[in-house]
Amino acid sequence: MAETLAVDLQNQILVHDSNKIVANRLASRLGKKRQVVSVASRFDLNSATIAVLAGPPPHSSLAREFIEKNISVVSVSDDVSDCTNLLALDTLAKNHGVALVVGAASSPGMSGLLARSMSKSFDAVDEVHVALHGTGGPACARQHHRALSGQSVGWHDGEWIRRPGGSGRELCWFPEPVGAYDCYRGELPDPLLIKKAFPELERVTARVSATRRDRVFARLPQLIPPQAEGGMGGLRVEVRGFRDGQRWVEVIGVVERVGQVAGAVSGCVAKILHHGDVKLAGATVLGDSALPNEKILHDVIDSGVQVHAFVRA
Amino acid sequence: MKVIRRVLLALSVASAVAGVLRFKGKGVGAIKQGGWRKIIDQK
Repeated sequence: MAETLAVDLQNQILVHDSNKIVANRLASRLGKKRQVVSVASRFDLNSATIAVLAGPPPHSSLAREFIEKNISVVSVSDDVSDCTNLLALDTLAKNHGVALVVGAASSPGMSGLLARSMSKSFDAVDEVHVALHGTGGPACARQHHRALSGQSVGWHDGEWIRRPGGSGRELCWFPEPVGAYDCYRGELPDPLLIKKAFPELERVTARVSATRRDRVFARLPQLIPPQAEGGMGGLRVEVRGFRDGQRWVEVIGVVERVGQVAGAVSGCVAKILHHGDVKLAGATVLGDSALPNEKILHDVIDSGVQVHAFVRA
Repeated sequence: MKVIRRVLLALSVASAVAGVLRFKGKGVGAIKQGGWRKIIDQK
């Protein structure tokens, strides 16, 4: 995320991490190219205009603090209850005249951008189905572990339905080199956020890939510490609706490290807010028509994220 | 002794069947209809 911001941003970028060594390493690596990245204390962040919360959830209490100091917030949280709490800060953000972008990561985040982009080729959209493969950093891996043991939420014909995580197996094809993976329901915030961006939808689901081992051990504590960075991940968004009076389905996929996508998306959103391309006040999600979604998606693709469309034979 | 022998026999037959299914089963192949096309950003 800091790398995305540092590419063409002339303003100072302050990096804060609970682990100072990590923050110093990042600042020194990016600072070689551009002298705009520096390590900051938690107190120094109060002078910022935009805060990107890229750490592990929960983000809601931190977001509230920033909003009360008139700082716009971009959150990459992928926790359902945290996202709900962040959306509840809408009135506070409006009162302070600042923007709060919830779920600006890979899934949620990129999924909303892709759904909005695809919806342009439809006359009417009524279903969005998201599948995610892979994890970003350790916090993302822990969230993936929790998601399989929690309750998945999905929008189905006018009502929210809850199903156990790890159920509802579906074989999902991701672009190469990821390929096909069995994906299962999970406690993922995508349906909540995509439904907010597209109130007209009738069905929204989100699934996550998992192995047998993942599903068996999901209900136990995560005994093996997650890796610092996951491998190649994938995101698949399927949109269904009507075009020229006929039922139509479009599928789009992303192959990239999940953390890389999340960093690019959150960085591009922060840049859009910083440049003042859009005057926002209140809580919003990616894919919402209030945001310049096409511009953000262009910027994300420009930053090196590969997007593939499924074409029929 | 007879029971143990039967249990061992059942386990070995079960593992042999599972092994055959695991390695000779029909796996997921490549997509046969359609494919992925990279989207190039057109500004």
